[in-house]
Amino acid sequence: MQQVSRPPLARLTIATLLFVLGCLLSILRVVRDAPRPGYPSTDDVSKRSDQRFAALKAALPSRGIVGYVGDSSDPVADYYLAQYALAPLVIDRSSDHALVIGNFPASLHASVEHLQLVTDFGNGVVLFANKDAR
Amino acid sequence: MALALPALLCLASGLALVSAGWSWRGPFASDLTLRASLAVGYGLGIFSVVFFLARAFGVSNFVVVDVATLSLLLAVFFLLRNHATRSGTFRKPAEALDLPRWLQRVLAVAFIVSLCAALYAAVMRTLGHPHGDGWDAFSIWNLHARFLYRGGAHWRDGFSTLIPWSHPDYPLLLPGAIAHFWSYLGSDEPAVPGVIGLLFTFSTVGLLVSALSVLRGRASAMLGGLALLTTPFFIELGSSQYADVPLSFFFLATVTLLCLHDQSGDATASGQRGLLVLAGLGAGFAAWTKNEGLLFLCAIVAARVRVFFRPERSGEADPRGPAQRLSDRAISVAILLVAVAPAFLLIVWFKHSIAPPGDLFSDPATAFHKLIDPTRFLAILKWYGKGFLRFGHWLLLPGTLLLPALYFATGVKPTRNFGPGFRSSRLALVLTLCGYFAIYLITPYDIYWHLRFSLTRLFLHLWPSTIFLFFLTFRRAIGSVADSR
Repeated sequence: MQQVSRPPLARLTIATLLFVLGCLLSILRVVRDAPRPGYPSTDDVSKRSDQRFAALKAALPSRGIVGYVGDSSDPVADYYLAQYALAPLVIDRSSDHALVIGNFPASLHASVEHLQLVTDFGNGVVLFANKDAR
Repeated sequence: MALALPALLCLASGLALVSAGWSWRGPFASDLTLRASLAVGYGLGIFSVVFFLARAFGVSNFVVVDVATLSLLLAVFFLLRNHATRSGTFRKPAEALDLPRWLQRVLAVAFIVSLCAALYAAVMRTLGHPHGDGWDAFSIWNLHARFLYRGGAHWRDGFSTLIPWSHPDYPLLLPGAIAHFWSYLGSDEPAVPGVIGLLFTFSTVGLLVSALSVLRGRASAMLGGLALLTTPFFIELGSSQYADVPLSFFFLATVTLLCLHDQSGDATASGQRGLLVLAGLGAGFAAWTKNEGLLFLCAIVAARVRVFFRPERSGEADPRGPAQRLSDRAISVAILLVAVAPAFLLIVWFKHSIAPPGDLFSDPATAFHKLIDPTRFLAILKWYGKGFLRFGHWLLLPGTLLLPALYFATGVKPTRNFGPGFRSSRLALVLTLCGYFAIYLITPYDIYWHLRFSLTRLFLHLWPSTIFLFFLTFRRAIGSVADSR
């Protein structure tokens, strides 16, 4: 094994102690930023996906492609949360399908031109039909 | 209880694979931790590949497939066992940092406190975010897992271009492993991706600590482990159900196995080649985890070839003649190529036959113009500089400054004579970092948006391997501090 010159003990000790202290500072952040025990989950993925679309899912075919229209302050995330809930159904962000999902978290009663309401599941979740779909 | 059987099959498969390539015995605790840490990641890798192939070939009886896979791996293990025992034992390393006993105790306490704090934080984060913490968890990794599991025979629907931001061209190690466990459970229980995230996080820590312990002794191992455990972003991302920490695990596995191969006695002995095979498989699993892993795979092969063509700078006398050295190097490169080939072929098939084209190379003409735009170079360099100090979300003192500070403050003068494993690993990490830079140059997205949302994660891929290589540079000092007390 390659041998190299020995560092002084005091220098090695102080350097190691400072390194350990520097590291331990950050472990405070690790603990501080963790959710506290006993607090309810801060996660809203389930609320905005699985729970929100549970009733709609039962009314849709188990596979294939359906359309999607939506309006919210976070439209892209809402679309992907719908896709996450309804997989393995493929959700296309287009109204050009025979069945079209409506996702309007901000407005409880939504309507879209050219689309016929099939079922209103409440809470801004609706199923439309598009008779003009190609 | 429903998870016990797949967990057992997964871990046993990983352990059989790792043990088949294992050719030496180190100190018991380090050896066991090293093998167990590798077995977790490799087992999940095997589980993913097996699930994907079973889906691709329409096989639905996963118990039979898993038992057959495990039997095959055990057969390979028993066939190679005699070879392995002949390859000798690993020499117990001298402590690279010979600290006074009281300081070793302080270090051990600091490490244990950090480990407990990190475990607590990671578990609480996983419980607080059962579907993952952040966009990528539900829109990419868990979504792909749901398509693989729920889709049954129609699992390919998930790789539709109609869901572009789910990145359908991303490889499937994580979704495949998750879907495999869900198939045993019979439901897409969100605890599975959460537990897999925790397993990868703490296996990375175990791998780093045990490999450093084997190669540089306990003090270096504790310091290395401390540096990783006290990187807040590592714990955050590890419990977010993203694929970045699993990727960093496979980077580290590849690097540690290459370095172990260097230092495990006669590196050319046939038994030691198992470590090279495991290193190649690690790089292959990295490529099957994320597209960045494919870049790393190419980097490690290129680095290995470069080291092969460059004469060794080791100060130790080599009894082998030039022809023998050349032959040994050629064989080691060939073994690595053979080991990465299965994953590489699997990815080529996936990208060619199943996934739609990726978005990065969609417009080569524009990409070329971006490649020679100096303002983009400057922007990326600026973000690299900022990211270097910030990516770990450290409190006050960045780990990226603490490591060089330790290096200069200790006054340990590292050797310049490193083995080919160390040199090729170091070069591969640099090449990977340069590759990331090139990707930012040509990105079709807004460059600032892309940097903002990914750079810290890309740096984290390399962080455990960087810590490992950093502490490898510390070699035993002449004499002993203990002698001077």
